Amino acid sequence: MTDTVVAATEQPHCVFDAKDFSSGAHPVWCPGCGDYGVLASLERALAKQGRPPHEVVLVSGIGCSSRLPGYMSTYGFHGVHGRALPVATGLKLTRPDLEVIAVGGDGDGYSIGGNHFIHACRRNVDMLYLVMDNRVYGMTKGQPSPTTEADWDSDIAPGGIGLRPFNPLAVAVASGANYVARGFSGDPNGLADLIVDAIRWPGFAFIEVLSPCVTFRPEQREWKKMVRPSAISIERDRAAATALVLADDGFSMGVLYRGDRASVAPALKPEITVADVEREFMVAV
Amino acid sequence: MTAGAVFLRAAAHAGYYGMMTQLFGAQVRGGESASLVQVSTTPIETQPDCYDLFVALDWDKVEQFAAEIPLDGNSIILADPAEGPVPAGIAKSKGCVIALAMNDPNDNKLARALRGKRVNMFAAGAVCALTGIGGDDVKAAIDNIFEGKGADLIAANAAGATLGAQAAPALALDLRLDPPQKAARWLINGNQAVAFGALRGGVRFVGCYPITPATDLVEWLAPHLIKLGGRLVLGEDELASVNMTLGASYGGTPAMTVTSGPGFSLMIETLGLAVAAEIPFVLVDVMRAGPSTGIASKTEQSDINLAVYGGHGDAPRIVLAPVSVADCVNTGEYAVYVAESLQTPVIVLSDQALGQATTVIDPSSDRPAPLKRRVNGIAPGKPFKRYATGGEPVTPMPLPGTPHLEWVAEGLTHNEAGLPASGAAMHVAQIEKRAKKIRQFEPGEHWGEVWGEGDVAIIAIGSTIGPAREAAARLAASGQKVRVIALRVLSPLPLAALARALAGVRRIVVIEQNHGAQLYHYLLGHKAIPPGAESVARPGPAPFRPSEIASYVV
Ligand SMILES: Cc1ncc(C[n+]2csc(CCOP(=O)(O)OP(=O)(O)O)c2C)c(N)n1
Ligand code: SF4
Ligand SMILES: [Mg+2]
Repeated sequence: MTDTVVAATEQPHCVFDAKDFSSGAHPVWCPGCGDYGVLASLERALAKQGRPPHEVVLVSGIGCSSRLPGYMSTYGFHGVHGRALPVATGLKLTRPDLEVIAVGGDGDGYSIGGNHFIHACRRNVDMLYLVMDNRVYGMTKGQPSPTTEADWDSDIAPGGIGLRPFNPLAVAVASGANYVARGFSGDPNGLADLIVDAIRWPGFAFIEVLSPCVTFRPEQREWKKMVRPSAISIERDRAAATALVLADDGFSMGVLYRGDRASVAPALKPEITVADVEREFMVAV
Repeated sequence: MTAGAVFLRAAAHAGYYGMMTQLFGAQVRGGESASLVQVSTTPIETQPDCYDLFVALDWDKVEQFAAEIPLDGNSIILADPAEGPVPAGIAKSKGCVIALAMNDPNDNKLARALRGKRVNMFAAGAVCALTGIGGDDVKAAIDNIFEGKGADLIAANAAGATLGAQAAPALALDLRLDPPQKAARWLINGNQAVAFGALRGGVRFVGCYPITPATDLVEWLAPHLIKLGGRLVLGEDELASVNMTLGASYGGTPAMTVTSGPGFSLMIETLGLAVAAEIPFVLVDVMRAGPSTGIASKTEQSDINLAVYGGHGDAPRIVLAPVSVADCVNTGEYAVYVAESLQTPVIVLSDQALGQATTVIDPSSDRPAPLKRRVNGIAPGKPFKRYATGGEPVTPMPLPGTPHLEWVAEGLTHNEAGLPASGAAMHVAQIEKRAKKIRQFEPGEHWGEVWGEGDVAIIAIGSTIGPAREAAARLAASGQKVRVIALRVLSPLPLAALARALAGVRRIVVIEQNHGAQLYHYLLGHKAIPPGAESVARPGPAPFRPSEIASYVV
């Protein structure tokens, strides 16, 4: 790192309130959108976690859900569609002192960014990835996403897309994520607790949040009746966790898996200088 | 391969300048290859019209290289008769074939293959002796090249080279070079040079994905960067590597990504993001023959349009092109400073012929003046206006972790505070802010180089500059003065400096290695050259030869 980098403070942390994490900007979201609940949960979680807003960076891609960083008072990075995880990875690897959280939607994370999702789980960099899954491309007004049910009717895929939905939790467990959980935007307190737990857990933490799109998937309002706490939470045993998330109907909430994989080692302290590198080119006569 | 490397390094030890390029057959690993080495008492920046000496270690599949190894009636072809007759593709050069037994005649083909390394060293020893390079210099080269491989191997190789040197006098050939001006020099290729320049400039994060001919750049860089306390991350694809690079840069670490054509194409969307969100980073494109996957291992200058224009929307950017292998160091370093100080992407357009040319150069000392990112000097007031308009176009970019100055890097059209905005006024104001940064960029002496004088000018970039300069030197020797103008800053076009460089010129020839005359049309489009300017544009991968350029210009 260079001298331009200011390491985040190690001052004793003050007590924060959820509203300290709000930017005050008015969200573009439709009234009733699940993403409001996620925003509220994140604000509460960060207040509880106790790090000041300037030590937190929210990174996102493109979609309704990816607008979230603009609504928080933290640092943020609203990039291009699907690439939140690589941005967050580059940032966290060079600035481990920051709290880095990537957020986005199911289209952003599982479709256009699907490859990054797999490899972020493999890399296991210490950060949180929170996906607001509404099983639709909300921002582009209602096309089926990778998590959409096979028979969901839409203009672009009349009668249904006819594809088996993607199981993000199974992929996360199989790919090496160290923390895998499911939350619900309609339970902001429960989700806030989950977020704090995930942030504190070392390595790559993934929370799939059911976050209804009331506009294009109004039937998702019923989700509040369908969600229930998971009866089981698996520690370390990835095979058992895979079985759990594959067998699940998608409505079990809470921590489903916590592992103990070591995260990426920090960068080395400099051992050489640029002048040492230069000497390697020299040919004496 | 190692024969060429030993010859080049031994020549450098002896005090000569030199350059080596390599040719590879289609096999992924192993298979046939050729080293093309030049040594001289003066710096070498071009491949020659013809090689003086061809040493055949193995005739197998050599004809695929014939077009890229120009030989003529004055060339000497050294070959072991045990390897069979000289293939037609080589023999047609009418070079003088001289027999040299490099193998033990009692060896069968398998034994020869097993002893291939020794033959390599035999050839290197013989060539060094023929050119007058002493045994001590050969030994120093072998020690360096096989460092860490064990004393036995070094001794065996040295013995092979000694045998070669002993066999040389019997050939009764006079290939001795003039004595050199001895000085300590650098042995470096263009890829290493760009990487080293970037390290000097402060790059401490590299996101990359393997792609020929850029891979060796990052492979060289990786261990050095790690020991310098930096990070190199192998992304899952170029979309990842460029976005990781942006993430690291956003955090305050000068960052770079390295690729070639196909990867560069994938990175274009994020290049636009970096322009819009004003995130600095360096993108090195080591150009290879395209389009599509093209010829992975061979050179072309056909990404000029992509570098200058690539992407949707109004996304002005800085594009730099090193003017020689030696200049790759300074251009690499300068690119970091420009990116950091303007908070914008800077593309370094190198090419395979520069990147993979191992060259003996004078140590790079004349470094560009350092420039830093503006992170402080923020006007008080809430909200913090990261993207303030109306004043200086480069606005402070506080690093995450700085209290009370939180901002969101934003790729959507945004207002001054960085919140998405879709009104016409803000869209225009932000586009103008970014355009102004680029417009105000003043590269000073870095804009380019001019060599020679005369009322005929050749304009060239990258690896085409070397042969153009050699052509101009030959024309000057025969009484025709030609100036060569090299553009280091391709975008924004340094129009005023170029106009000064072209003052008094009657005829302009733009030389470039692509079919569509990308550079020529770019210069015409900006009225940097008059409509009567001439274009010499042809695809790679064959390098321009000095004679080709001279015979056009004459
Ligand atoms: C490269 C690219 N392709 C397509 C789009 C158009 N686009 C914008 S948002 C989006 C889908 C977003 O879906 P999701 O991530 O599920 O977010 P949601 O709106 O549902 O929260 C698409 C396809 C784009 N912005 N960029
Ligand atoms: S379209 Fe759906 S996801 Fe987007 S804001 Fe409206 S309700 Fe939320
Ligand atoms: Mg969605």
